[in-house]
Amino acid sequence: MQLQDKYRIAVLSAYALSLHAFESLLPTPIPWLRLGLANIITLVALVLYGFRTAMTVTLIRVILGSIFMGTFLGPSFMLSFSGGVASTAAMGLAYLTFGNIFGPVGLSLIGALFHNIAQLTLAYFLFIQRVEAVLFIAPVIVLIGTLTGVANGAVSGLLIKKLLQKDGEKIQNDKAD
Amino acid sequence: MKTVIRNTTVADKLLFLTLIAASVAGIFFSREAMPQGPDIVITVDGKPQYTLPRDKDRLVSIPGPFGDTVVEIKDGKVRVKEAHCPNRLCEKQGWISRGAIVCLPNHIVITVGGKAGDLPRGIDAVTG
Repeated sequence: MQLQDKYRIAVLSAYALSLHAFESLLPTPIPWLRLGLANIITLVALVLYGFRTAMTVTLIRVILGSIFMGTFLGPSFMLSFSGGVASTAAMGLAYLTFGNIFGPVGLSLIGALFHNIAQLTLAYFLFIQRVEAVLFIAPVIVLIGTLTGVANGAVSGLLIKKLLQKDGEKIQNDKAD
Repeated sequence: MKTVIRNTTVADKLLFLTLIAASVAGIFFSREAMPQGPDIVITVDGKPQYTLPRDKDRLVSIPGPFGDTVVEIKDGKVRVKEAHCPNRLCEKQGWISRGAIVCLPNHIVITVGGKAGDLPRGIDAVTG
């Protein structure tokens, strides 16, 4: 890993962490609803700098974020960890397989969906253990995830476009993978 | 806004519509498909703790990590009367006569219409 990569990961992680902390302070009308603002950074990292950077940033964000919030290794950390890793992996896979068929909005939707699937699966094994309860709540969670996913994807798309306009050449040259 | 719409591909839009349609249909069908049985089952930490007949009015208080959660059964319906979890979604859900109320922070699931056969019946409930 080059010095430039480390610098980039540090900056992206800092952005992701501050969004992560910011959204946990926001009051939401529905509990367990998180906007997933940090996913914007994951998506930007994925499209501009590749899968490895995106996954590193996600891991740093989830682990450091939970240490700051005091939830490290607790149930909400496990939900956050599984959701983050699953969504980044799914977005990375979709991006590498389908290339530009999906834009940022589509990738964000895939990420949100797999985030929800991972969390529901884990919640089933850890807490609920009743299939009908999980099936009952799953569509609601997926619907909310889809709506926030579109919003995050749109913001990521704008951000990616601006960054490419500003120093696109530099980014293309730097892109490691 | 225009740039956003121009930036989305056909696949993006298809995926969005599919997800919305599937989840809305899921919400509709999961409510319809829920069994409306004779019993109200309260599960704590994944283990069924109480099986209560829905035609008998009563209050049950269940200890949890956020204090006692009070469940009320009245006129064949059930609600969470009092909860001390951070969000109180369960409380806001109000009275239900089918389906389930889930309180994740307290690890409590209240299901209307559980199968009476798979649970030990007649456990004394702590009345509030």
